Amino acid sequence: MSASSPGSTASKPKVVFEQVAKDFERRGEPLRVLDPIDLVVDEGEFVCLLGPSGCGKSTLLNIAGGFEPPTTGRVVIDGEAVNGPHPRRVFVFQEYGIFPWASVWDNIGLGLRELPKEQQYATIQQTIDLVGLTGFEKSYPMELSGGMKQRVGVARALAVSPDVIYMDEPFGALDSLTRLTMRAELIRIWQTRRPTILFVTHDVDESIQLADRVVVFSPRPGRIAGIVDVDLPHPRDLGTQRYGEIKNQLYELLGVRHAV
Amino acid sequence: MIADLLLFIFSLAALPLAGRVSESARRWIAPIAVTGLGIAAWSAACFLAQSQIFPTPWESFGAIVELAQSSRLWNDITASLFRVTWGFGLATAVGIPLGLWIGWSARSFAALNPLVQGLRPISPIAWIPIAILWFGIGDLSAVFLIFLASIFPIMVGTTAAVQNIPQVYVRSAANFGLTGFDLFRRVVLPAAMPQIITSLRIALGVAWLVIVAAEMVGMQSGLGYLVSDARNMGKRYDLVVAAMILIGLIGIVLDVLVRQLQNFDEVRWGFAKR
Ligand SMILES: Nc1ncnc2c1ncn2[C@@H]1O[C@H](COP(=O)(O)OP(=O)(O)OP(=O)(O)O)[C@@H](O)[C@H]1O
Ligand SMILES: [Mg+2]
Repeated sequence: MSASSPGSTASKPKVVFEQVAKDFERRGEPLRVLDPIDLVVDEGEFVCLLGPSGCGKSTLLNIAGGFEPPTTGRVVIDGEAVNGPHPRRVFVFQEYGIFPWASVWDNIGLGLRELPKEQQYATIQQTIDLVGLTGFEKSYPMELSGGMKQRVGVARALAVSPDVIYMDEPFGALDSLTRLTMRAELIRIWQTRRPTILFVTHDVDESIQLADRVVVFSPRPGRIAGIVDVDLPHPRDLGTQRYGEIKNQLYELLGVRHAV
Repeated sequence: MIADLLLFIFSLAALPLAGRVSESARRWIAPIAVTGLGIAAWSAACFLAQSQIFPTPWESFGAIVELAQSSRLWNDITASLFRVTWGFGLATAVGIPLGLWIGWSARSFAALNPLVQGLRPISPIAWIPIAILWFGIGDLSAVFLIFLASIFPIMVGTTAAVQNIPQVYVRSAANFGLTGFDLFRRVVLPAAMPQIITSLRIALGVAWLVIVAAEMVGMQSGLGYLVSDARNMGKRYDLVVAAMILIGLIGIVLDVLVRQLQNFDEVRWGFAKR
């Protein structure tokens, strides 16, 4: 592994999946969505969960986030089993979870209610500047573009300086240009603050641009088809030979032939 | 008769005009022209039927003027508005909290919803004898009937509003540690608010709708009383229709007033076209 890979320096386990499996009920019959998953995500690591639609990526993330109980197994964070959502581990939802009835300012302040007023103000303003929403503090979500809304969702999570950020296809609804910008911003923020990030996507390029490691899932019932290290320094050049090799590896694990 | 003819011609002429003028003018011209045609048709029907009792539009408008000149009209309007304000206000104060609770707690929904659904279809008119028994003849009975008529739309609408809150908002709230009163104030209430406002609008319409029935509990004032009173005193159907027109007009004003609630920043998202 190359020394430039940021996640490789420290390796303290942060999020540990132990035999996590999930069945849903469908018309009275149990439907297996996830086969038992074992995975260790280190502190400060950026891990992408990559897989075809319906393979259970969101389900696994929801289990880690404490929104859904696993059928068997458990997720352990900081040595304790997850049994509900936690304010230090924040979710950025696939459909923007920001509140349409609150201004950008109030949305981003949601997790800062306990802080003294002055500290709240400083943190909110700082986070707004960080994600490039300066000047839109008083705007309501319906007055923003899709990309700006998504940035509010990210900012709301960042404002509390979380230990872990779960992101479920946060850029899925954006156009390709905005997505590129958002990825670059996310990497910049991740490099300064070093939260542990679990990022769900079904975009191969996105996973290579972002992750230290890409965990590839098989179609339902989801299981880990393979894990690929992305040993490229940031900012990542999409044109290098190594990039192409990793891409081929991922496509192979996904069982897709992409060369035409 | 000449007035009718002129009205008819002007209304007809105005309709195609409405297609050509600006958006804001169209909003006024079309409804006025349609109302004008309706009045002309009413007038024509009176002429053809040669009825001695049923009033023409002009007799009805004359009756409104007559009412306005006597001191009684203002008295009747305020009396009715007073009862509706209290009945509707109490229904709001009770209905919204109850609806929030029933919508939020699955157990209270299971326990209370059948009762609510069973009481809801009973017309306020059926309650009149009981209202008189409990509250006697007077304002209290009328307020009670209006309360009954408007609490169900508010309660049922609020319950549905809370049940329809997207899961992602509730999960966000849980993620950021919102519980108890904070959760209600910051998430549940605002998320449900647009639908609550719509149910308030419906409820106020219903409250005003039952004013005539509510004043049948022996009231001696009010627009509803005016309707029955005018009929009793020498079949003054022009006064009956005048009171009906006034009830309709005030209904429009009330609806415009509650609709202003939709303009608050916190709820505009719920009414925006997507
Ligand atoms: N609450 C539920 N009840 C029943 N089945 C569910 C439920 N949630 C998800 N499923 C099923 O579980 C499977 C995995 O769903 P999940 O949302 O985790 O997929 P995903 O990998 O995130 O897909 P996508 O990339 O399309 O978002 C799907 O087949 C879905 O039908
Ligand atoms: Mg998903």
